[in-house]
Amino acid sequence: MTPNTTSTNSRPRRRILRKALLLLVIIAIAGGAYAFYLFNLPHRDVQATSTDAQVEVSALVQEFLTDASTANAKYLGEEGEGKVLEVHGLVRGVETDLNGQAVVLLESSDAPAGVRCSFTTTTNAQAAALIAGEAATIKGVIRAGASYDPDLELYEHVVLEKCAVVQSH
Amino acid sequence: MTIKQILLLAALPATFAFMAPAGKLVSRAVHIEFFSTTPAEDIRANNYTGTGAIDPASGDVVFSIPMQSFEFEKALMQKHFNSPDFLDTKAYPKAKFKGSIVDLGEVDFTKDGSYPLSVKGEMTIKDKTNPLTTTGTITVKVGKVSIESKFPIILADYGIAFIKGKPSTNVAKTVEVTVKGEFATE
Repeated sequence: MTPNTTSTNSRPRRRILRKALLLLVIIAIAGGAYAFYLFNLPHRDVQATSTDAQVEVSALVQEFLTDASTANAKYLGEEGEGKVLEVHGLVRGVETDLNGQAVVLLESSDAPAGVRCSFTTTTNAQAAALIAGEAATIKGVIRAGASYDPDLELYEHVVLEKCAVVQSH
Repeated sequence: MTIKQILLLAALPATFAFMAPAGKLVSRAVHIEFFSTTPAEDIRANNYTGTGAIDPASGDVVFSIPMQSFEFEKALMQKHFNSPDFLDTKAYPKAKFKGSIVDLGEVDFTKDGSYPLSVKGEMTIKDKTNPLTTTGTITVKVGKVSIESKFPIILADYGIAFIKGKPSTNVAKTVEVTVKGEFATE
């Protein structure tokens, strides 16, 4: 082999090496960017998420009281991102939790438990405008079902959070 | 029987109706905070949706906490917390504490004041139950009863073990739990 042929041979090899290096750098940057994205992943905007189901308080509560495991499998999310629901019922009252957020209890005359809806800083005013005894539809994410707890000797309400009022009548 | 006596007898049920029995005190908005600290980072999670009941007569204390209501600053951490690898909250949606006030005689639920609290019971997280004793404060103020308590939880006791990766260095082996609640008869 002449030196000439060696140099023509090494040139494409160097080019391949350079391309491989560039590819590695791109992968590293993409990986870093993805890790950064995951680390700063924003919380799901429940109100901007499309509604999975529209349901009456009584129907939702009964579903959990009849078969808790089937209802949990249907409504709760594996990574905590449960179904986004629009729940219709009668407003029992409005309270404030220890986080300063409004909590509305929706009930129905034919269910022993209700749906407890926690509002957010941006939607608290909507909750305050609700009138006890009147009907309302509230959208939020479900985080727990209704159940009778024999130790508490109480019915626990369905827990709906990140709520906003869809309609009040 | 004189007319006066008959009238008094007739009024008795009404008197009892207004004497509220030492009924169960309930909270539908218990606040639970998880706090983990390591040299790598501090992690907090808050939950404001727990249900609690205190029976002033027996001293029984029960808490039921919806696990998916814990909120973290980082969305990814919240997802990990709920996932089947860690708390598996879809399969085990609630944690429970069941216990009783040790020195019930020291607490006067009818008199305003602040009383030291000692509670002994058991905690169930996922499918594991462990004994738990904690201290705190119980405050009675115009018919409202609030409690506050702080205790450590060893995650491994509840089958939550971080063997490798970021969680093993960034999540403490023991986390501090703070419970706050305002109770009233329902």
